[in-house]
Amino acid sequence: MNLVGENLSYKLTEELQLRKISFNFEKGKLYTILGRTLSGKTTLLKTIAGLLMPDSGSMRFEDKNFLEIPVWKRNIAMVYQQFINYPHLNVFENIAFPLKQRGLDIKKINDEVFKSLKLVGLEGYEKRKIQELSGGQQQRVSVARSLVKNAKILLLDEPLVNLDYKLREQLREEFKNIFVNGLSKESIVIFSTTDPREAMELNGEVIVLDEGRVLQVGAAKEIFENPKDLKVAAISNDPPMNILKADLGSNKIKFEDIEIDIPNHLSKLTNKNFNFGIRASDIELNDNGFEFEVELAEISGSETLLHLTRGNLKIITSIEEVMDFKIRDKVKINFKSNRAYAFDEVGNLASSPFRGGNV
Amino acid sequence: MNFKHKYVFLFPGLFVLIGILIFPIIFVVRLSLSGWNSYNGLNFIGLENYIRLFTDDPRFWESFIRLSFLSVTTVTLQYVIGFALAHMVWKEIKFQRFFRVLFLIPMMTTPVIMTVIWRTFFHESLGPVNDLLQIFDVAPKWLTDPTLAKITVIIVEVWQWTPFMFLLLLAGLLSLPKEPFLAAAIDGASPIRKFIYVTFPLMAPISIGAIIIRLIEASKIMDTVYVLTSGGPGTSTETSSFYIFIKGLREFQMGYAASMSFTYLIIMIISLTVIAKVLTKLLLKD
Repeated sequence: MNLVGENLSYKLTEELQLRKISFNFEKGKLYTILGRTLSGKTTLLKTIAGLLMPDSGSMRFEDKNFLEIPVWKRNIAMVYQQFINYPHLNVFENIAFPLKQRGLDIKKINDEVFKSLKLVGLEGYEKRKIQELSGGQQQRVSVARSLVKNAKILLLDEPLVNLDYKLREQLREEFKNIFVNGLSKESIVIFSTTDPREAMELNGEVIVLDEGRVLQVGAAKEIFENPKDLKVAAISNDPPMNILKADLGSNKIKFEDIEIDIPNHLSKLTNKNFNFGIRASDIELNDNGFEFEVELAEISGSETLLHLTRGNLKIITSIEEVMDFKIRDKVKINFKSNRAYAFDEVGNLASSPFRGGNV
Repeated sequence: MNFKHKYVFLFPGLFVLIGILIFPIIFVVRLSLSGWNSYNGLNFIGLENYIRLFTDDPRFWESFIRLSFLSVTTVTLQYVIGFALAHMVWKEIKFQRFFRVLFLIPMMTTPVIMTVIWRTFFHESLGPVNDLLQIFDVAPKWLTDPTLAKITVIIVEVWQWTPFMFLLLLAGLLSLPKEPFLAAAIDGASPIRKFIYVTFPLMAPISIGAIIIRLIEASKIMDTVYVLTSGGPGTSTETSSFYIFIKGLREFQMGYAASMSFTYLIIMIISLTVIAKVLTKLLLKD
């Protein structure tokens, strides 16, 4: 009864293609596709929707060959990153559109539309024209239109990316609510995003996609705690995880001229050379720490991102408060080495704070 | 900006406008109030021409009703066929460019020449149409039967001007946003419903424009009738412009022809405005 895809391949351009993607989506669950731009997120969603026909591979849903079913019979709903609505219809008619296609009676349509208007917080707007709404409201309309169908598969293709910061936070909260309360247990929700925080916050099953390949599948927590390799670590962290080429000394870890004590969970590493990975948030300001020079300081929201250099070392750290730094300022930092990761020379995860030793 | 400069730049356009539009209209009004002939000049006779037109000339009104029928029928057919063809080559099909050009050819040929060719086609004893119809043992009088002659005029007009409609509608289709179609497919609209609920409403503004332009053009129909039937048999294909032409340039009743022209102009302005309003009401909801 699951939505099962096997070896789906589709070639749009050289950069943008799906390479033998397989998945198994269960009903009643939320899936997040995490990947950078051009990783094939939209292409994958469009393939599931039926807007694109894969070059090879198979897809089954409810014991039917899904690829043989034309788009309009698939009973799916989709929200795009552009706010797609019907420009010639008003808000009510927009949301009622999918129900009208099913030929429901007017009273039922009315009820359903007002229910979903309430869910997205657009009561009182039903007579408005689409062009009179703000971007966020337009996106709410298309979300309402996708929810009203009670579709078995709900696809959300970066629905929050074109919204401003505040609205994005707010709508993301609402999405979480909707996913928990507003959906039937029969639906599969697939949400794609480039933002690791979004993926973590939605707390569903995460599929990490890169260059049209599935890199890792797992619960959000698992992806965060144990990224399979350097690529996953880069995609699932924002700012990306700092990766430093390191040597394992007798009881120290060395990179460039810095030496730090080996934390417990890295003590079982066997290879002398490895990649030392540490999140920007796991580097703290400390007066007894190592001196770095500020290359760039940016304030994002309520935190400060510092790009630091020391010789050939380049790292990014994030500080949980707004601080004013000038370029070339000297700062002293300390690595929280008990939160560090080790990746072997080819890039696979060797050890993490949550899974010690040689894996 | 110096005040006078404005007029210097405005003058060339204004001059042309006055010369080709405003002066003729004023002249026609003046002419319609006179009986103009070679020895009297513009002798003022008041509303006599108009009184004659409204009380004593059923032929004008018959030709006007005929014209309304012909132009509404031809434009409707052109719209339906033009939309179908445009919709066909709008989608990705084989030889798309070839078809797009092919459908435009009738419009690019000279109307009078093409009408002569059509007249030859439909010739009762020598034309290839009846030659082919011989198989079924029929020989319709394409040009000499009053009803059939009207149909022949409609066929030729539709053939000649559907490409124009096709061109406007294709341009309209190509300028439509793609997104609503993606949404409609996802929302469970079959191809036919997609056309009814998305394509057609989105095309409404362009459709109204195209229909009005073609109605204006179709109301001027003259060359087709002139070459094909000369208004005959009898007066069964005679249209307003053709009748005005006969009165003015064959019988040289210039004053009377002018009064008909002016009446015709007023009726056309009013009726096209009404048609535009009605179409807008019907096709666009606000």
